[in-house]
Amino acid sequence: MNNPGHTIYIVDDDVSVRRALSLLLKSHGFKVETFMRAEDFLAFKHPKLPSCLVLDIQMPDIDGLALQDAMAARKLTIPIVFITGHGDIPMSVRAMKAGAIDFLPKPFTEKKLLNAITQAISKNKIQIKELAEISKIKRRIKTLSPRELEVFRLIARGMLSKQIAFKLGIVLQTIKVHRSRVMQKIQAKTITELIHFAQKSGIISSYR
Amino acid sequence: MMKKKKPRLKRKSRKMFTGNNARNGERVRLEGLVQHQADELKIKNGQLRNKGEQQVRSEEQIHLCIKAMESTADGIFIIDAKNPDFPIIYANQSFRDMSGYTKKEIIGRSYFLLYKSDADLRVIEEAKQTIHRGKSFNGEMLSFQKNGKKYWNLLRIAPVSGPGGTTTHYIGIQTDITLIREKELEINEQRGELLHVTRVGKLAEFVSSLAHEISQPLTAILSYAQAAQRMLSDREPETQKILSYIVNDDKRAAEVIQRLRALLKKSEPEIKPLDINTLINETIMLIATDAAVRSCVIKTELGVNLPLVHGDRIQLQQVLLNLISNSFDALENSSDPREILIRTSRKDTDSIMVAVKDSGCGIPAQNIPKLFTHFFTSKPDGLGMGLSISRSIVKLHGGQLNVENNPDSGATFYFTIPIDAKDV
Repeated sequence: MNNPGHTIYIVDDDVSVRRALSLLLKSHGFKVETFMRAEDFLAFKHPKLPSCLVLDIQMPDIDGLALQDAMAARKLTIPIVFITGHGDIPMSVRAMKAGAIDFLPKPFTEKKLLNAITQAISKNKIQIKELAEISKIKRRIKTLSPRELEVFRLIARGMLSKQIAFKLGIVLQTIKVHRSRVMQKIQAKTITELIHFAQKSGIISSYR
Repeated sequence: MMKKKKPRLKRKSRKMFTGNNARNGERVRLEGLVQHQADELKIKNGQLRNKGEQQVRSEEQIHLCIKAMESTADGIFIIDAKNPDFPIIYANQSFRDMSGYTKKEIIGRSYFLLYKSDADLRVIEEAKQTIHRGKSFNGEMLSFQKNGKKYWNLLRIAPVSGPGGTTTHYIGIQTDITLIREKELEINEQRGELLHVTRVGKLAEFVSSLAHEISQPLTAILSYAQAAQRMLSDREPETQKILSYIVNDDKRAAEVIQRLRALLKKSEPEIKPLDINTLINETIMLIATDAAVRSCVIKTELGVNLPLVHGDRIQLQQVLLNLISNSFDALENSSDPREILIRTSRKDTDSIMVAVKDSGCGIPAQNIPKLFTHFFTSKPDGLGMGLSISRSIVKLHGGQLNVENNPDSGATFYFTIPIDAKDV
């Protein structure tokens, strides 16, 4: 198996576990970064490349679940495979609900670990692609003039050009000009696509 | 009667001496004598009157004593010690009520015969022998009423000495302590239950921590072996075989751990709405004897109108008991007053704070970070499980357990516990 450019982060307070997992994953071609403490992992500058975090739950100071929360707060989207010495069910439920890929009781086999990691990496690839698209859309939105942005928001909410013209007190013809410029700048081929981009960028929330 | 006597005497002397003027001196002497006798009589008369009054007073006193003895809720009886059968010669109303026998059935019977068939013969024998030696007896026994109904009897018998110092009577007092006994039994039962849960909990936590500690190196060994297997790929078949043995035995050890975990899977806590103050008072009752033995005083400052909390009664009692008994240990070498203060208060909108404060030896600063970890103990015979279990219980309840040294002396452990959702 070859996994070029895929980084596995390991956070575990036990040095032997870190060293052994690191050796094993490197033998599978992964790039491996190990951390003794959750703080060290948070302080690390994470490249935006497909990666996965193998995280021990029981650690002094900040434990695995707390790190999961801290990552969510910082919008650090790296899928997590939890490893634990306690086979604690409620804990695993909580971790899984918060989006963990898997929950492996120690000791686990190479096969189980690799399955989870593979799943995590492919999830992360999709996440990265998605994030790239969102930032692309956001960049395009930034090129809109204030009036165009206003028109964009109203279109995204499903308003027709006539309604927008009435609401803003502008003639329909002008609105049509704004609309075609918005479509052009956002690079949307259809209105549906434009609304989709709006939702993705967070300009409007999907349920409003 | 007395008043009549005096004039009669005077009349008599007048009769005797009329018409005998020549013997005037004699008359004066006799008159003096009479006067003297009259005075003496007056004094005697006064004395007799006093005595009469005294008699009336002591009669009143006896009457009061009997009335008092008949009014008390304790059973009182008097035994004639000069009669070898030790018959009861007096029994008050409460004794008759307690034993269920009538006065007729009691008087003249030996106290010990009253209960012979059913009562605790060992205690009765002990009481008998003690009083035969002229000593006081004090003991508890299970007694039976005439109709067979049981009651717990706190019995005290003391000798009553006569003029020569010999024992003439025995006075017995018996108290029905059934209610106290039942309460004690209830407390003991609760304490037993708690001890059992604590013991099982300790074992489970112990095994679980052990499993955790062992799983770390097992994880490392397994991964080392599997990494080596990959690195060798098709080379060195002998070494490959050895590596596969390592992998297999590691898996075997892992299965043992898995089975242990399954075996000691904690029973689900029974989470119910609880009144934290009631829980604290109950817990203090459970530990009251220990507190007395260690001459510690447990005081409380319980917040009023606190909402119910959401928790498992036994588990929370376990936490409290653990914190209190730690405080006992901390106070071990303190001079008086050995005080533990338990406080409850509303912490914020959705939790209540419970604090256990002692004025003991406090906690060395370097120990505080390790205090709640498994196997950490500063006691020579400690397991190092109490605080770690307590913290995990509190955590399971959605609260936090922490500690602080007090500015003056000792330490305060405090934990939060969420308020029952319906009560917020």
